[in-house]
Amino acid sequence: MSSDAVASPAPGPNRAGPEDDDPRDDRALEPPSRLAMWLKTRAAWVFVLDAGLVALFTAVTPNHVFWSTANAQALLLAMSETLLLALGLSMLLGAGIFDLSLGANLVLSAVVGATAVEQFQGVHGDASSYQNVVLAVLVGALACVASGVLFGLVNGLVIAVGDVNSLIATLATLGIGTGMAELIANGSDVAGMPVSLQTNIGLRRVVGIPVPALAGLAALVVLWAVVRWCRYGLRVQAIGSSRSAAERAGIRVRLHLVSLTILAGGMAGVAGFIDLSRFGATSLSGHSNDALNAVTAAVIGGTLLEGGSISIIGTLWGAALAVILQSGLVLSGVSSFWQLIVTGFVLLLAVLLDRVAMARRAHGHGK
Amino acid sequence: MAPTSASAATVAIGSRHVSKRFGHVQALRDATVTVPPGKVVALVGDNGAGKSTLLRALLGLSQPDSGEIVIRDKSVTLHSVRDGLAQGVDAVHQDLALAPHLSVVDNMFLGHEHLRGGGLQHVGVLARREMAERADAALRELSIQLPSLSVPVRALSGGQRQAVAVARAVMWSRTAILMDEPTAALGTRQSEIVISLIRTVAERGLGVLVVSHDLPRILTVADTVTVLWRGETVLEAPGRDLTVPDLVATMVGYRAGEAV
Repeated sequence: MSSDAVASPAPGPNRAGPEDDDPRDDRALEPPSRLAMWLKTRAAWVFVLDAGLVALFTAVTPNHVFWSTANAQALLLAMSETLLLALGLSMLLGAGIFDLSLGANLVLSAVVGATAVEQFQGVHGDASSYQNVVLAVLVGALACVASGVLFGLVNGLVIAVGDVNSLIATLATLGIGTGMAELIANGSDVAGMPVSLQTNIGLRRVVGIPVPALAGLAALVVLWAVVRWCRYGLRVQAIGSSRSAAERAGIRVRLHLVSLTILAGGMAGVAGFIDLSRFGATSLSGHSNDALNAVTAAVIGGTLLEGGSISIIGTLWGAALAVILQSGLVLSGVSSFWQLIVTGFVLLLAVLLDRVAMARRAHGHGK
Repeated sequence: MAPTSASAATVAIGSRHVSKRFGHVQALRDATVTVPPGKVVALVGDNGAGKSTLLRALLGLSQPDSGEIVIRDKSVTLHSVRDGLAQGVDAVHQDLALAPHLSVVDNMFLGHEHLRGGGLQHVGVLARREMAERADAALRELSIQLPSLSVPVRALSGGQRQAVAVARAVMWSRTAILMDEPTAALGTRQSEIVISLIRTVAERGLGVLVVSHDLPRILTVADTVTVLWRGETVLEAPGRDLTVPDLVATMVGYRAGEAV
């Protein structure tokens, strides 16, 4: 409050002249280098942490097996679903809303997709008896995405039109979605998917990159561009920063919120299809932690839990951190109990490093 | 950037006999206010007199139960704040309505973003350079100095934020600006600067409606003072004819002909 917003009554250039030695006017200074700017971001810290862990695990794994093409491919495949969920969640968090139902959405989508694929089976339960495999897979993929979109739409309507707190709303739809998946699957996982689903999609690689990871990376590039350059990204963050300010600026807040939940839901549907095509079966019980993992990846990467700021690249490094740790500890022969403990500590470290960086930032600005 | 379209009208913005009820509370009973183009009208009243409710109705943030809203001499129905914005009515809200995480430029263009031309327009790519240049020009025009236009607004001081909110409203309003307690958060010197900004804005032909508790200061700038008392317009008089004690008496109801 001490500084003057509106000074010098004489109309003049909005740039401090040489006689004006106001230290707050830094526009006359050389802008800091891109590297310096980058190092101030949370995404940078997490990337450095990722790189450090890769170096560490490369050094300690037998035959340095961590540093291999096969392991890199395994890591990319392992993070593809988390990345899709975390990217969708980053967008939601940016607008100040939450989604606990993403894992349930993924499972329900996979079940719906698998059930659709099964319709093309000649002999029930016989994976080799598909009449039209291409059509079956296509319909399955569409069913997965449609289910995800619909799930997202329901979330969006409850949150935006019903004005229900997103945490509560998605806690409810998490239960509903899980129950519906169990109901449709009759309590046991839907298996017997055509083998070509796995060979042609789930376990396939294009120029060395697993197809599921390509889907995640494509979403990453598109969302990065949207957040950085597009009006949509700006408005989403404006809503998260101050919903009432966005409303009074004439932004259609409800419409934006519904579009976001549809986007995140659709991406969960894609993740459901990936899950189906990787394992050739649904996994009813395998995704209960997915939503929280997605939150972790997004928040570690620098997307604000309070809303208003999205870091898409940070979400990538955050999602990578989880799989690097998981795989590195397994390959190093660390017992699974220790894995949990070490993972917890590294997450704490990531946040603490950021605290240090933030303290420095604050100091540098002298405020 | 010469908002003169409102000048031909006799009323830039106003209300006629507006009433609004919230449950058991009759927030507005018979509220009439008239803001001619190029004039500053002060809207004063005690707490609960209905000032904010009237402002919200004039902005399209809520709809009156009866009576009419007038913009550029025409009776209008504002279904949402977008309708008000489309008529060139903008506001400096008491809480400033800024998005703290966004930059000064992004805040100034919120809801009015400029897009790049060509094929990029269809995907909504922002014309950031153009936006930055126009924001800079708009701030210069009001002689507002800020350390940087790319810092998030939350990094600015209270006075600087106030300046951004005023500059934004000036930039987009073509008809009228409504200001809710524009000096409440400011120190003496900054308040004086905002008051002179109000003058400048009116001289451009915009109607300016200012809600303020800062009576001595507002009397120096107001062409007309409108007093609301329990949701009703009880006085409309030229600012130069009024003294602060008179005004206070009216605000608390002594001149309204009813016992308090």
